[in-house]
Amino acid sequence: MTKRILVLGGDGFIGKHMVSALAASGWAMPVAAGRRARAAAPGTERIQLDATDAAALKRALDGVDGVVDCIAGGAMVDVARNLFSSGIDVPVVHLSSMAVYGSAVGLVTEDAPLKADTGPYAQAKAEAEKLAAAYPRAVILRPGCVYGPGSTQWSLRIARLLRARRIGDLGAGGDGCSNLVHVSDVAAAALAGLRLPAAQGRAYNLAMDGAPSWNDYFLDFARALGAVPIVRLSEKRMTLESKLVAAPLKILEILAGKAGLARLIPPPIPPSLVRTWRHEIRLSPARAEAELGIVWRDLAAGLAETAAWINSVAA
Amino acid sequence: MILDVQDLPDGFSLDADICIVGAGPVGISLALTLATGGRRVLLLEGGGPAPEPDSQALYRGQVDAAGLHPSPDHYRERRYGGSSTIWGGRSMPYDSIDFETRPYVPHSGWPIDLAALSPFYGEAVRLCEAGRDAFTIETAFDTPRRPMIEGFDGEHFTTNTLERFSCPTDFGHRYRHKLEAAEGLQVVLHANVTDIRRSETGSEVTGLTVRSLAGRQGQVSAGRVILALGGLETARLLLASRIGERLDAVGRYYMCHIAGTIGSLKFTGPRDSVWNGYDVADDGSYCRRRFALRPEVQRRLGIGNFVARLHHPRIPDPRHRNGILSALYLARPIIPYEYGKRLYGDEAGGLGRWLAHAVNVATDLPATLGFLIHMLRDRRLAERKYPSIVIRSKSNSFSLDFHAEQVPDPDSRVVLTDEVDALGMPRLKADWRYGRADVETVSRSLALLAGDIERSGTGRFDYDPASVESEMTRYGAYGGHHIGTARMGSDPASSVVDADCRVHGIDNLYVAGSAVFPTSSQANPTLTAVAMALRLADHLKGSQP
Ligand SMILES: Cc1cc2nc3c(=O)[nH]c(=O)nc-3n(C[C@H](O)[C@H](O)[C@H](O)COP(=O)(O)OP(=O)(O)OC[C@H]3O[C@@H](n4cnc5c(N)ncnc54)[C@H](O)[C@@H]3O)c2cc1C
Repeated sequence: MTKRILVLGGDGFIGKHMVSALAASGWAMPVAAGRRARAAAPGTERIQLDATDAAALKRALDGVDGVVDCIAGGAMVDVARNLFSSGIDVPVVHLSSMAVYGSAVGLVTEDAPLKADTGPYAQAKAEAEKLAAAYPRAVILRPGCVYGPGSTQWSLRIARLLRARRIGDLGAGGDGCSNLVHVSDVAAAALAGLRLPAAQGRAYNLAMDGAPSWNDYFLDFARALGAVPIVRLSEKRMTLESKLVAAPLKILEILAGKAGLARLIPPPIPPSLVRTWRHEIRLSPARAEAELGIVWRDLAAGLAETAAWINSVAA
Repeated sequence: MILDVQDLPDGFSLDADICIVGAGPVGISLALTLATGGRRVLLLEGGGPAPEPDSQALYRGQVDAAGLHPSPDHYRERRYGGSSTIWGGRSMPYDSIDFETRPYVPHSGWPIDLAALSPFYGEAVRLCEAGRDAFTIETAFDTPRRPMIEGFDGEHFTTNTLERFSCPTDFGHRYRHKLEAAEGLQVVLHANVTDIRRSETGSEVTGLTVRSLAGRQGQVSAGRVILALGGLETARLLLASRIGERLDAVGRYYMCHIAGTIGSLKFTGPRDSVWNGYDVADDGSYCRRRFALRPEVQRRLGIGNFVARLHHPRIPDPRHRNGILSALYLARPIIPYEYGKRLYGDEAGGLGRWLAHAVNVATDLPATLGFLIHMLRDRRLAERKYPSIVIRSKSNSFSLDFHAEQVPDPDSRVVLTDEVDALGMPRLKADWRYGRADVETVSRSLALLAGDIERSGTGRFDYDPASVESEMTRYGAYGGHHIGTARMGSDPASSVVDADCRVHGIDNLYVAGSAVFPTSSQANPTLTAVAMALRLADHLKGSQP
C-alpha cells in the first residue's frame, strides 16, 4: 500500500525534489502542498495550502501517513508550531539547517549545543527545531549547503559569481568547509527518515563526507562550468564587495524582483556569506551514513549535472 | 593562539609535547600539521609580525674573503613568516636523480628516495599555493598547449617540465587564522632561542633558552624539539649549542645554487613559434617551461643537474633597444635589493647610460606603456602575482638564464665568529665555495644545449665558453637558498641528521628545512623543504612517545 506523504513547502527547491523522490520511490504518494494553485505533477497529488493557517493545515493532515516539512523563510516557526500541536501521530521529517550550530567550529556532531548565535535566521531555525524536538515522532535533518539542479543559493548564485570572476580562489577567505550536500541526498535522507522508526526522535547532519573547502568547491565547480582559470581575490576586495557593494545590489535586486527582472542584477555578496566562506565548521556525516544508510552523491558527478542545469537555465 | 613573549612573565617556563623553532614556511607547515589530535605544540618565532631592524640585525654576520656570498642579513628575513615574506614563489619538486648516490658527485646520495617524499608533495604544493602536484605540461593541462619551441626535440634536454609559482604566499599571513584557531597550539613571537640545553650524556634535549630583545628571558621544555630556522640559522644555533662538535659535520657541505645569465639565443622561426611566457592553470597558478638536462645525460657525462630558461637580454646594456627593459633600468631605485642584484648586477650607472635608456623608452613608448599597465594590473595590484618579467621578443632573441646544482663540498661551510649579536650569540661567517665540478656542470650543459638547438634547426645559441665561470659567479652564490648545513645521512661522520630528520645521537632533536638536503638539485628548495617537513610531521605523529 502506498503511503500518503504530505510535503509542506512543496514548491520550494528542496520540496520539489522531495516530491519527485517520493513519487519515484514507489513506496509513497506525495501530496505537494503550496500556497499557489498549480497542477499536480504526474504521479503526485497537489493541494493549495497556507500552512500558517492552523485549521487549514489540520484539514490537510487528515489521512496522511507522514509529513515532510520543507518550509523555509519567515513562516517556518509558525508552521512548525501549527504542525506539532495539531495532534497528529505520524512520522514527520523536519528540515532544519546547520545554522542551528551557529558559530561552532571544528568537527560538529549532532550532540553539539544549538548555539544559533549567528543571527535571526539561525534563531528561527533553532526555535522551529525545538518545537520539532518536543514531538516524539519527528526526524530532524540538519543539511549543510544544499547544491544541485534548482539550487539558487549554492549553485546558481555561485555559478554567476564564478563566471563574473567575483569569487574564485579566496585564500584564507575560502578556507572554510563547504559542507555541501546534494539535494538528492537530502531527499534520500528524508525518505529513510519516514521509513525507519528508529530515526524518530533523532537529528541528523547532512553534509557529504570529505566535503571540500569553499576554495576547492569554487575551483571544481568553475571547471565544470568552464569558467577557468579562476582568479585569486584579495581579502580587501571581498570586504569591499560585502561592505560597500552588497547593500546597493540587494536594493536593486528587490526592486528588479518586483518587476520580475531579478535575474538581470548581479548577485550581492553580503557580509554573512563572506563569513560563511571562512567558517571552519565541519558537520560529521557519520550518523546519517550509519543510521539512514546515506551514500553521498559523488561531487564530480553532482557538479557536472548541476553545470548542465545551469547552462539550460541560462539558455 | 598567537602571543608575544612580552605577554609572559620574566623567567617564564613553557612546556609542550613538541616545540618548533622558527615560523617560516617550514615551521608553519609543521605546526599546522602537528597541532591536531590533542598534541600540545609550541611554535617559537624570534621576529615579530612586521619587519624590525633590531631583529633583522641578529642575522648579521661575515662572508668569505672573495665576497661571493651575500651578507648573511640579506636574502633572509627574521620575522614571523620568515623569508616567505619576500620569496619569489618558484616551486618544483626535486628530481628522482637528485636522491641517487652518483659516483661522479662526491658525497651524493640521500638515505631516502623520491618515493619517500612523493606522498607529501601534493599537500606541500597546496600549502605553497602553487596549484597542484603536476609538473609536466601534459599532466598539468587537460588540453594541449603550444610548444615552448616549435620543432625542438632535444637529445640532451627536455622542454616539458614545469616550474609553478606560488602567489607568492606569505605563510605567516596566509595561515594566521589557522594558527590562531588550532587547538593546542601556541605561537610565541619575539621568542629567540639562543641555546639548546642537553642532559649530561648529551643524548637528550632538556630545554631551550628563550630571549627577547626587550629583555624577557625564559625556558622551554618539550618532548621533542624541531629546528626550522632556515639553512643558515639552524647551523648557527646547533654550533652555538655545541651540538655535533666532535664529528664536525654541522655547517659543512653548504650549497646555494649556481646561477647566471649568458649568451644570446636566436630562433629562426616566426615569433609565434617560440613561447617563453606562462601557461595559466585552471586554479590560476602560473606555470612555465624550461630546458631541463635529461637525467640519463647527467649520468652518462657525470655532471650535475641543470635547467635553463629563456630570458630577456641583459638589462643594463642599452643596446637591447627595448623600451620595457630600459624602463626597468630606470626603475632601479625602487626595486628591492634582493631582486635588483640579478637584474642589474653591480655595474655603475652613469649619465650616458641613463640617457641611452631614456631614449629607448621614448622610441618604444606604446610597448613600454603596455608593459607598465600589465605590471601594475597583473603584479602590483594582483593577489596572485605575475611572477617575472617576460618580454615577447619581436626578433625571437633571448639570453639564457640557468640554474644548476652545486655539488656538496665539506669545505664550503658556515662557521661561528668571535663577534656576538645583541642576545650574546656568536655571529655567523659564510665561507661559501664552488668547485671545478660546478663549472663543469654549467659548461658542459651549455655546450649540449647549443648542440641540441643547432641540430633541431630551430636557431642558434651563441655564448663565450671562456666566460662561463665569470658569468656563473657574477652575482656570487645564489641568494636565499641555504642548503646542506645539517645534511641527512646514515653516517654521523659526514651527516647531521638521520633519515627521519633526527639529529644523530640525540633522541628528541630534529631538523626541518633545506639544511637537511644532502644535495642541492636544480630546483629551488622551498617546496621540497615543506614536503620534507610534512614527512617529518607524519613520522612524529606515528611515533607518539
Ligand atoms: C628574495 C628571495 C627569493 C626567494 N625565492 C624563492 C623561490 O622562488 N623559490 C623557492 O623555493 N625559494 C625561494 N626563496 C627561499 C625561501 O624563502 C626559503 O627557502 C624559505 O623561506 C625557507 O623556509 P624556512 O621556514 O626553512 O626558513 P625561513 O623562511 O628562513 O624561516 C625561519 C624562521 O625562523 C626564525 N628564527 C631564526 N632564528 C631564530 C631563533 N634563534 N629563534 C627563533 N626563531 C628564529 C626566523 O625569524 C624565521 O621566521 C627565496 C628567498 C629570498 C630571500
